[in-house]
Amino acid sequence: MNSLVLASLLTEPVGVSHYLVVGAVLFVCGVVCMATKRNALGILMGIELVLNGANLNFIAFGSPYLREASQTLGLDGQLMSLFVIVLAAAEAAVALAIALNFYNSFSTIDVDRADQLKG
Amino acid sequence: MEAPIYWPTFFFLLFSAIACAFAVAVVVTPNIVRMAFYLVLSLAATAGLFFLAGADFVGAMQLMIYVGGTLVLLVFGVMLTSQDRFISMKTSGFELGVAVTLGVCLFVVLAYCARSIPEWHGMKAKQVSAVPLEPTAAPLGMGLLGARVDGPDRSGYLLVFEIISVHLLVVLVGAAYLARARGKKNLLVE
Amino acid sequence: MDVVLPKLLLVAWLMPLASFAVISIAYSVPQFLGVKVRYATQKYAAYLAIGAIVGGFVLSCIGLFGYWLPAHSLHAASHAEGESEGAGEHALATPQPIGKNSVRLVAFDAEERLEDHSAASGIQHAEGSRAEHNNGPPPSMTGDWYVLGIFGSLRLTIGYYIDTLTVVMFAMVTLIASCVHIYAFGYMHDELHDYTDHEVKLADGHHLHRPGRFHRFFQYLSLFSFSMLGICISGNLAMTFVFWELVGICSYFLIGFYIERHSASTAANKAFIVNRVGDFGMLIGLMAIWTTMGTFNFGDMPGENGATQAGIFSQLHQAENNYKIAPTDGMIAFEGRNRIAEAVRNAGTTEPAAMQAAAATEVARLRADEPAKWGHWVLFIAGVGIFCGCVGKSAQFPLHVWLPDAMEGPTPVSALVHSATMVAAGVFLVGRVYPLFSAEALLVIAVVGCITLFIAATIAVTQMDIKRVLAYSTVSQLGFMMLALGLGGWLAGLFHLITHAFFKSLMFLCSGSVIHAVHSNDMRQMGGLRKKMPVTAYTMLVGCLAIAGVGVPFLAGFSGFHSKDAIVEQAMSHWHHNARSGVSWLLFVVPVFSAALTAFYMFRLWYMTFAGEPRDHHRYDHAHESPRVMTGPLVLLSVFAVCAGWGLPAFMPGPLANFSIPNLLEQARPVGTLISKPGVYLSGLLIADEHIAHEPEMFRAIKMPAGIAAISAALLGIWLATEVYLWRRLSAEKLGNALRPLYQLSWHKWWFDELYDLVFVRPTHAVSGFIAAMLDRGLIDGIIHTLAWLFRGFAVMVSVLGDRLVIDNSVDGFAEKTWNFGLSLRSLQTGRLRQYVMFLVVATVVLFLVAGFWKLALAG
Repeated sequence: MNSLVLASLLTEPVGVSHYLVVGAVLFVCGVVCMATKRNALGILMGIELVLNGANLNFIAFGSPYLREASQTLGLDGQLMSLFVIVLAAAEAAVALAIALNFYNSFSTIDVDRADQLKG
Repeated sequence: MEAPIYWPTFFFLLFSAIACAFAVAVVVTPNIVRMAFYLVLSLAATAGLFFLAGADFVGAMQLMIYVGGTLVLLVFGVMLTSQDRFISMKTSGFELGVAVTLGVCLFVVLAYCARSIPEWHGMKAKQVSAVPLEPTAAPLGMGLLGARVDGPDRSGYLLVFEIISVHLLVVLVGAAYLARARGKKNLLVE
Repeated sequence: MDVVLPKLLLVAWLMPLASFAVISIAYSVPQFLGVKVRYATQKYAAYLAIGAIVGGFVLSCIGLFGYWLPAHSLHAASHAEGESEGAGEHALATPQPIGKNSVRLVAFDAEERLEDHSAASGIQHAEGSRAEHNNGPPPSMTGDWYVLGIFGSLRLTIGYYIDTLTVVMFAMVTLIASCVHIYAFGYMHDELHDYTDHEVKLADGHHLHRPGRFHRFFQYLSLFSFSMLGICISGNLAMTFVFWELVGICSYFLIGFYIERHSASTAANKAFIVNRVGDFGMLIGLMAIWTTMGTFNFGDMPGENGATQAGIFSQLHQAENNYKIAPTDGMIAFEGRNRIAEAVRNAGTTEPAAMQAAAATEVARLRADEPAKWGHWVLFIAGVGIFCGCVGKSAQFPLHVWLPDAMEGPTPVSALVHSATMVAAGVFLVGRVYPLFSAEALLVIAVVGCITLFIAATIAVTQMDIKRVLAYSTVSQLGFMMLALGLGGWLAGLFHLITHAFFKSLMFLCSGSVIHAVHSNDMRQMGGLRKKMPVTAYTMLVGCLAIAGVGVPFLAGFSGFHSKDAIVEQAMSHWHHNARSGVSWLLFVVPVFSAALTAFYMFRLWYMTFAGEPRDHHRYDHAHESPRVMTGPLVLLSVFAVCAGWGLPAFMPGPLANFSIPNLLEQARPVGTLISKPGVYLSGLLIADEHIAHEPEMFRAIKMPAGIAAISAALLGIWLATEVYLWRRLSAEKLGNALRPLYQLSWHKWWFDELYDLVFVRPTHAVSGFIAAMLDRGLIDGIIHTLAWLFRGFAVMVSVLGDRLVIDNSVDGFAEKTWNFGLSLRSLQTGRLRQYVMFLVVATVVLFLVAGFWKLALAG
């Protein structure tokens, strides 16, 4: 089955699962980015990647070209992804503001230094 | 048996490869400025994937907001906060290893889930070509104003739209408040 | 009138209550809560109380002159003037207004009664030559304002019974209370600043220093007036009893006004406890009445569906029976219950109606066959029981001991207690329930009154405390009233109540004025005060003349002359009618002798206080006439003391025609008192009809000797006092030494306090001490201590085993575990963002793995 899929990869239209796999790659990259970067801005970028992966999934689920139209989310998927984009922008703004504040206070943006609330 | 190349799939593979490759590059590179640059490329490629899936308006938004707005913001942040040029903060190898291992595990799980449903494997080319090509900007606008054109029983998003608008305003004001310089007050006092 | 008058009196009655409530809320409650009440504002409390009581007086007068008298005009026939009065006039004097809330019953429904009245009337002895025409019930209004509760057939209500007596009492009580209120405004001004009580010594040798209580005094006065007016207007015995006790508690408050003084607090306790003894008897009387008559109402009340519910008076005095007193069916049934049970058994039926009929027949048979045997004992108990309460309230022998001690209260209170409120309540109640008393009960009243008046008069002769002399004089005068009531002189007794109220309040206020001036109660420290305080001295002299009964025989005199004359006449009449008994002369001689003593000790008081030379120059020099706010009431009261016995002629306009207090009271004459009451158990006894004494043919036999005896006794007493204390031709010391045993007896108040101490107090102390030692401390305390010891041991065991071992360990252990768990969780909270992301990822992967395993396991 898998070999068949690989064989017909270039000759057949792609489906939802292809998009999901790409979204998963982006998502995992984002997560790993968040988990490994000590720079606050790096973590922010990881978040952007994660959100983007999720967005890709929404688009895939809403697209009429990837599976039968009756099963798709229709415009809901695109609307959701729009909201996600907007929220991501907002989040980026706030997070950047926090990062700037943090930087002003500690003269660094190393998140490992931000442990004053530690129990 | 040799079937002709189905070009949309080709472009899908191309864009996804770019997106995935630069996403991985974002993870791998230690330099924050490069990270930002790779991220731009990755997100732009994702916008291409959106176009391929028929979401022209969302793709355009992706390019404008993310690539044009958010990343400019990020670059500003990078420039404002870096004392030394191209500063980098190393993570320990152990941590990196653990993170990558876990990431691979997560990817396996996700990919398995994505592949495990047969209906998601895609349609035949004939079925795809039967789907009419329609611009989505107008239906999306109507949906945000509360009127759905793609299905009578689906609900509109006027309230959410309003809330999002106000939320955005509040967030921007709050961000401006948070980000203003600390020392100004002291300067005023002196 | 029958609509307006009750409302008028209701307002007059409730105004002091409102004043009390306002003063309580505005002054006493804040003070109780610790707010300092400014002295400047306390005056307004006094203004309020005075306004309330004066308003009450005005309303009472409007009620009397504006509503009552126009509807019930007075008749010239006044026995005080010696004219004879035909029985027929009473029928004229009985108007017939029947309003929706007033019920007048002249004739009583015969259908409800089962017995044969013609047979029942056989109970009455032959009356001799007197006309067999008795008087019916006086004009009255009855009704209920508020029903407190209905228990079976017992209705407890706040109701009214208004007859002339009520209206007159209202006017009298509010007038005297007004005078006392106004007087107290001056007398109590010491309380308007911080007060140093020189009679209380604290442990550190200083005198007690306390905040003034001006407002509280007026607060109590208002409540006192309200309670007394409640008794006057009360429509049933239950309500009377309630206000009876309210009067008691008010007197307790006021006698104990200087509560810090030990003597005051004990005197208040004594007054209260002694009154309880009398009230116990009253409760028995109430039970007897309730059991045998089924109602507490004085007058007839509208019952269900138009029927009337007969009150106490009309149940005992029925028109068919010529208004003569006869036991009710309930009384006969109560005494003959064994006979009735037997009769019902013999009837051999089990049907309730038939059994009731058989019982009724038996009651009628008992009434007919043996009229003198059945029912009279309960009637006697009921009357004497009620009288017991009056003995306590009106300080009659043997419960008179509280009244002299009540002098510990402020003097205005004494004036109020001794004239218009507390002690008047007892006499008033006897007058109110007068139709309830059988001849024997009346004799008991007369004897008690006679003993009281004699004992008190003898004690008063030697006392040196000015207020104590007046107190014993009050006791003695109350004895006169009781004697008069007991001998059938209803009008004489109540007339004396009213005249006495005027001159006794006058004298008390005068003595208060003196005490105010010299700061002492002891007459040995006074003397010659006439020059320093003329108004007080001469108003006091008026009071003394009034109480002595000075006047021109058979013509006119001070108020006391008229009322005392009436009493002595009645005593003479009693002697005349019961000459055979051999002791009835005592009931005439003793009062006359006591009247002489009264004149003696009153003038002794006046001479020692106001005449002669000052005995204590220091006190004399500091004496001064009281302010106008105090002398004003004195003058007003002295006017009444002079002329309360006089009457207005018939040609006066409107309600003033024939106006005099005896005429007014005559209108309220209780049912069935115009025929002499013969004794049932004492066959020779005859309680004489009051009017006999005034018949022209009896002038030589009764009126003349009585009048001469009374005036000569008064003049003799005054002459003796003048001889000893003014002219000093006789030495008081020598007289005292010559009559040493008598002097000792009098000086020690007949050793009543000592006797009661020996007979009641000490045995009670001994018994209670014994019980406390043996039962309480020995047995009960032992048991309790043992129990306590056992419980304590158990508790220690539980505390060691249960508490400390089990509960403490488990709770501590739990707390420690929680603490440790929190500490271990703390290490998870590294504060590292990246680790949290890792945790999230791990959690997701694990969740997927678990879900996948689950699916596989289920599928497999």
